[in-house]
Amino acid sequence: MTSSPLPEPGAPLAHFVSTAPFDPNEVPPITDAQKEISKASQLRLMWWKFKRHKLALASGVFLALLYASILIVEFLAPYNLHTRHVDFIHSPPQRVHLFHDGSFVGPFVYGRDMRLDMDTLRRIYTNRTDQVEPLRFFCRGDAYRFWGLLDANLHLVCPAKGGQFFLLGTDRLGRDVLSRIIYGARISLTIGLIGISVSFVLGIVIGGLAGYRGGLFDLVTQRIIEVLQSIPSIPLWMALAAIMPVTWSPILIYLGITMILGLLDWTGLARAVRSKLLSLREEDYVLAAQLMGAKTSRIIGRHLIPGFMSHLIATATISIPGMILGETALSFLGLGLRPPITSWGILLTEARSVSVIAFYPWLLLPTLPVVLVILAFNFLGDGLRDAADPYK
Amino acid sequence: MSSDRFPITRRGILGLMASAALPMPRALAAALEPPLLAPLVYEDMLPALSDRVPREPRVVKLAEMGRQPGRNGGTLRMLIGGSKDIRLMTICGYSRLVGYSPTLEFIPDILESFENVDNRVFTFRLRTGHRWSDGHMLTSEDFRYCWEDVILNKRLRKGGPPSELLVEGQKPRFEVLDQRTVRYTWHGPNPDFLPSLAAPQQLVICMPAHYLRNFHQKYQEPNRLAGLVKEQRVDEWVDLHIKMSNSYRQENPELPVLEPWRNRTRPPAEQFVFERNPFFHRVDENGAQLPYIDKVVLNVSSASIIAAKACTGESDLQATSVDFTDYTYMKDAEKRYPVRVGLWKATRGSKVALLPNQNVSDPVWRALLRDVRFRRALSLAIDRDEINKVSFFGLATPSADTILPDSPLYKPEYAAAYANHDPAAANALLDAIGLANRNDDGIRLLPDGRVAQVVVETAGESTLETDILELVGDHWRDIGISLFVRTSQREVFRSRTMGGQIMMTMWPGLENGVPTAEMNPGQLAPTLDDQLQWPAWGMYYLSRGQKGQAPDLPEAIEQIRLLRTWYQARSDAERTAIWEQMLSNWAEQVFSIGIVNQTRQPVLRSAHLRNVPDTALYGFNPTSLLGVYMPDTFWYSEDTA
Repeated sequence: MTSSPLPEPGAPLAHFVSTAPFDPNEVPPITDAQKEISKASQLRLMWWKFKRHKLALASGVFLALLYASILIVEFLAPYNLHTRHVDFIHSPPQRVHLFHDGSFVGPFVYGRDMRLDMDTLRRIYTNRTDQVEPLRFFCRGDAYRFWGLLDANLHLVCPAKGGQFFLLGTDRLGRDVLSRIIYGARISLTIGLIGISVSFVLGIVIGGLAGYRGGLFDLVTQRIIEVLQSIPSIPLWMALAAIMPVTWSPILIYLGITMILGLLDWTGLARAVRSKLLSLREEDYVLAAQLMGAKTSRIIGRHLIPGFMSHLIATATISIPGMILGETALSFLGLGLRPPITSWGILLTEARSVSVIAFYPWLLLPTLPVVLVILAFNFLGDGLRDAADPYK
Repeated sequence: MSSDRFPITRRGILGLMASAALPMPRALAAALEPPLLAPLVYEDMLPALSDRVPREPRVVKLAEMGRQPGRNGGTLRMLIGGSKDIRLMTICGYSRLVGYSPTLEFIPDILESFENVDNRVFTFRLRTGHRWSDGHMLTSEDFRYCWEDVILNKRLRKGGPPSELLVEGQKPRFEVLDQRTVRYTWHGPNPDFLPSLAAPQQLVICMPAHYLRNFHQKYQEPNRLAGLVKEQRVDEWVDLHIKMSNSYRQENPELPVLEPWRNRTRPPAEQFVFERNPFFHRVDENGAQLPYIDKVVLNVSSASIIAAKACTGESDLQATSVDFTDYTYMKDAEKRYPVRVGLWKATRGSKVALLPNQNVSDPVWRALLRDVRFRRALSLAIDRDEINKVSFFGLATPSADTILPDSPLYKPEYAAAYANHDPAAANALLDAIGLANRNDDGIRLLPDGRVAQVVVETAGESTLETDILELVGDHWRDIGISLFVRTSQREVFRSRTMGGQIMMTMWPGLENGVPTAEMNPGQLAPTLDDQLQWPAWGMYYLSRGQKGQAPDLPEAIEQIRLLRTWYQARSDAERTAIWEQMLSNWAEQVFSIGIVNQTRQPVLRSAHLRNVPDTALYGFNPTSLLGVYMPDTFWYSEDTA
């Protein structure tokens, strides 16, 4: 481009006309990257957006690992859920050492002596620094029935032969707290997923019909939802939990509790679905589908729901922690799951006495996974919500 | 304070003349006045000490009991779980016509003396000059009023006289011999009479007539009575009389009492203040009037945090609502607060016991639970040593649910009966019953093909019960019985067990683990509806055949027969023989599966408080919690120990 000198001060600016050739029908070339974006699916766009939310990504990975681990808790836990060590009651957490007397021996714990203090009635544990008990890995330990199918006894980590390894201490019956937290994850984490699926099915079906049909059905549903939401949740849980027969097997009780949590949780979701559908059903493509003779179920399922699926996913991730907390609260009140089933809520119930706080604080450790999982779900939900609208 | 500071009044001179007759010099008497009452005596609003106590007070010789005589004054703070628990003051105050000594013998307390002829004729003699807490004389009129105007009144007592006053349904003949003497005569022996007078909730046969007449139709003008009924917001005079006369729970601060402390707070309240009864009838060997402590303050708190509060120095004496599991924490508090914790021995027959319900409605289970072999097998399968080690630091004693070695009736074979850990014998017993078939998990099958699942219900108030049940569940799995725990509310237990809905209950064992032959052995036979192993039979006995079901198990019928012969027994030797027979049947039949007994009960006291035993028996009946150890003799010292 030729550059003309600046005009004299005060003189008008000369009219500039580009001399380059111009074809109005020409399509500007796009870069490869732009090409990829334009061709990317909705899901792909969301993933790109999501990747940039580092905290959400980390939370997602953390949760994925946790959920993967519940498949193999028998292998991960050093002991079985109910293994009692009568000689190691209320044993504090053991530290893992690497060096003994200045030389490297790999991960090991010191052996422990227990002494009964008959004056204060406490069990006093002292480390025996002469007794090095190296941890074993991929080792044979307590026998278990893997998934109720296979007899096995392989564990990720076991104590030395004849020794003990209580990374997070033991409870009042001498059971390993770490193993119980790992086993508890299986119940506490899945209860959220199962509960949320129940509430999703109910929420989408009822909310979808109410929103799409409107009229009397909508009116009745809305009033029912209002009534359900106005009932204080804890007494309602208590009533429902109390009607489950005691002879039900623990698995049935567990399913029952998830159903209860799901049955009470759908109302909020149903409202969201309804309001979304009320606006979406006025769209032209719905009219088009109706004119072409599509059935209600097809219009809702094929045309309307995908329109706000991203919103649903975000809602789900944010509701799961509510379910986990609900189970914890119910079990803490002694109304939810019952031993021998072990969840984090059950573990915390057993730790609610003043002497625990004073002498055995490690029994409160199950709060830690509860807090971490709930934070992770919240971050994940946050990231998903941002990613759900990738063009923003 | 010296005697010359007393103003000379007519009453003062009379008091001086009266006290001149006594060996106690006036100056000494003034020095003995409790600090709370001294100003009142000084202002002549209250007679002097020598006029307040009976002429022959009950002299408690503390030095002979191995205790220290103390001094008056101070406030004792205690924590209670609800306002109903102010009955604690009547239980622990333990002022009775006839009471138990610390060695569980009958001694006259309010009475000067009593005479008992063949458990049939009881003659009670009151102390001269004994006064109610409002200063009125206690006389035989108070017994007459209670008997004729209250107990025999058809409207006040719809069900008739209490069963302790009846022998084969017959009332006693009541006589007033003079101002201080009354006599009760039955046609046959009534061995329950003295024990029920000495019980924690005593049988009331004496009421402050001068006060309660105000609320009785027979003595009060109808207009004034109607006014009082309205004022107290009750329906009629009967309710008014019942409300105003409740001496077990001292909810009426105006009711004259004979207890060491009387309530000064009208419920509802969060804090109850009890002040010393200025006319209490006990003195120590130095002539100081008991109780030593001027005031008792009861603070209402949630039962679950009482242990924590007591450990932060908010209680000066705490034995209720604290349990063995709190001991470690309480002992640790000794370092931070001036408190001391002692371990007393619980008198229950078993800390907790499993009670197989003989009245369960399921026919298959009823047949099993009534089979003594089944009950024995369940008992033999329990590893009591492990439970003792895990939950009681090995400080308890593995035992069947029976009496303790502290009872003169104790025999080691009662405690050892089916209490050893012998799963092989248990398995053999179950096989012999016909429960040999098992499912894939190794759990036995009932004759009708169901799985042998025992559902144990518990009040679940402490983790101790659920821990023990978890251990028992493991032990029972070894003999092919699976155990489920259900926690439900204490209040609904009785009706649900009676209705046969509960198969087995976890409940505290025998209430009185330290009986003597003089005490009623009714706890070993179906006599009460709250015996959860046979509530319907107990109801039948209690209602004299009106409600419940008649027992149809020969062994249970035998216990009732023995109980009836105990009532007729003439001598202690006879009674002892009956007790032994009943105990031996009880042990053989395993109607209650005991776990451990002689567990420890922590008793926390202020380090300044003296005369609290370091260790003693602790139970409701017969020791009335702290009652027989006389809390009125506890006192505050300046130094700690």
